[in-house]
Amino acid sequence: MSNILVELSNSMAEAVEKAAASTVMVNARRRMPASGIAYEDDLILTANHVVEREDGITVLLPDGSEAEARLAGRDPGSDLALLRLEKKRLTPAEPARQARIGQIVLALGRPSQAGIEASLGVVSAMGGPVLTPNGSIDKYIRTDATPYPGFSGGPLVDADGRVVGINTSGFGRGVTLTIPAETAWKIAEQLARSGSVKRGYLGVRSEPVELSDAAREALKRAQSTGLLLVSVERGSPAEAAKLIVGDILVGIDGQPVTEHDALFARLAGDVVGKPIPVEVLRGGKPQTFVVEIGARP
Amino acid sequence: MNGTALLDSALDELLERIRPVLAVVQNGRRGAGAGVLAGDGLVVTNLHVVGRAHSVQVLLYDDTQYEAHVVATDPKVDLALLQIPQNGHAAAVFSSGNPRPGELVYAFGHPWGSRNVLTGGVLSAVTSLRTRKGLVPILRADVQLAPGNSGGPLLNAAGEVLGLNSMIFGGDQSVAIPASLIRSFLAGARTDKLPEAVL
Repeated sequence: MSNILVELSNSMAEAVEKAAASTVMVNARRRMPASGIAYEDDLILTANHVVEREDGITVLLPDGSEAEARLAGRDPGSDLALLRLEKKRLTPAEPARQARIGQIVLALGRPSQAGIEASLGVVSAMGGPVLTPNGSIDKYIRTDATPYPGFSGGPLVDADGRVVGINTSGFGRGVTLTIPAETAWKIAEQLARSGSVKRGYLGVRSEPVELSDAAREALKRAQSTGLLLVSVERGSPAEAAKLIVGDILVGIDGQPVTEHDALFARLAGDVVGKPIPVEVLRGGKPQTFVVEIGARP
Repeated sequence: MNGTALLDSALDELLERIRPVLAVVQNGRRGAGAGVLAGDGLVVTNLHVVGRAHSVQVLLYDDTQYEAHVVATDPKVDLALLQIPQNGHAAAVFSSGNPRPGELVYAFGHPWGSRNVLTGGVLSAVTSLRTRKGLVPILRADVQLAPGNSGGPLLNAAGEVLGLNSMIFGGDQSVAIPASLIRSFLAGARTDKLPEAVL
């Protein structure tokens, strides 16, 4: 018998099957294994906190075979790690485009030999940037799909089996967040290239301040706070670009900066070594300085 | 009709169709669970709903009530079989296909005593559970279960029984005894080759 419920059910089971072909079990900690997804045909993206050891990492592939893996890189800030297989044996996962609140999603994991596991939910919220225990991520997704034990490092997929993001409980407080595919893929690319993610460094200390009415008017946009520079490190990129104490940082790379998180997020991207315009208020007037962003020591 | 309205009416239709196969199983002051009509006046439920009783009360969807005899049990998989008079009751269809993770499932039962409640989710895993009595094949789903769901069916989108919800194994997670085990339990009971029959 066929009706819309059966069709919906079949399409969700097919979405799970498709994504399952790129979802592996990652065995790199003492307690139960976790999950990971194929980023390339020899690279696995997983959660950093489930990779407790660097030697003797094994993965269980979707076809039931086991393979040894090496740690190719890790980024504690986003709780992502990349593992490399000796041979190209994986079916790379397909990333989804922008997620939407209310969209149907499935959380997947392969925490045991028994096979793929799934739970159903919707995209509940999206946000970011947000500070994490070891850094920051520019965006996150929250879902009401049940995160079963061992789901960290596994994918959140859409109704077509494309990867919306990577699930992790590694940010603590019992909360599972999903790192959007776009962010995760960018980080994976950096990990594949250099084994770590370089975070940008300006060399300033700052505190959030209210902007005066005159300053707001001069900015010609609805922004009521900025970051007052209270010190500029000697020999830093900020000093080289001639930023001085008393400047109020209000924008970076064309985006307004109203609080520390916004600045952190901008510096967490692929910015090291690049000239980035920094907008400040000096003497109440907006001015732009180009800073060649350094790497955080 | 838009997609949501179509889903709503498909769900109404499913509920109408499956309501006659769900029973309330009452065991005196022990409380109530659910049961599934399996044909020939047989009702399959969880053993922990029945306990040590030799007979229990079965209430059908049309409010007819019967005194049912316990005709077979299997403590390893927490199943019990009850007999009520055979007078043309509906019978559930037990799925013979392979359960697929991600497929839609519905738990049907009487959570906290509310009758005929359907809760939805997906099949989470086809796995097994190590119990004191050995390794038991199980299905896990992300549906909400509560006391009163035990012995009720876990249905697929076509209204077939994928398994019998069994709160006793699951803790806070939904666990069901797969249809394949129920089939062999029923077949064993029907041919009187009862491993641990209470007759």
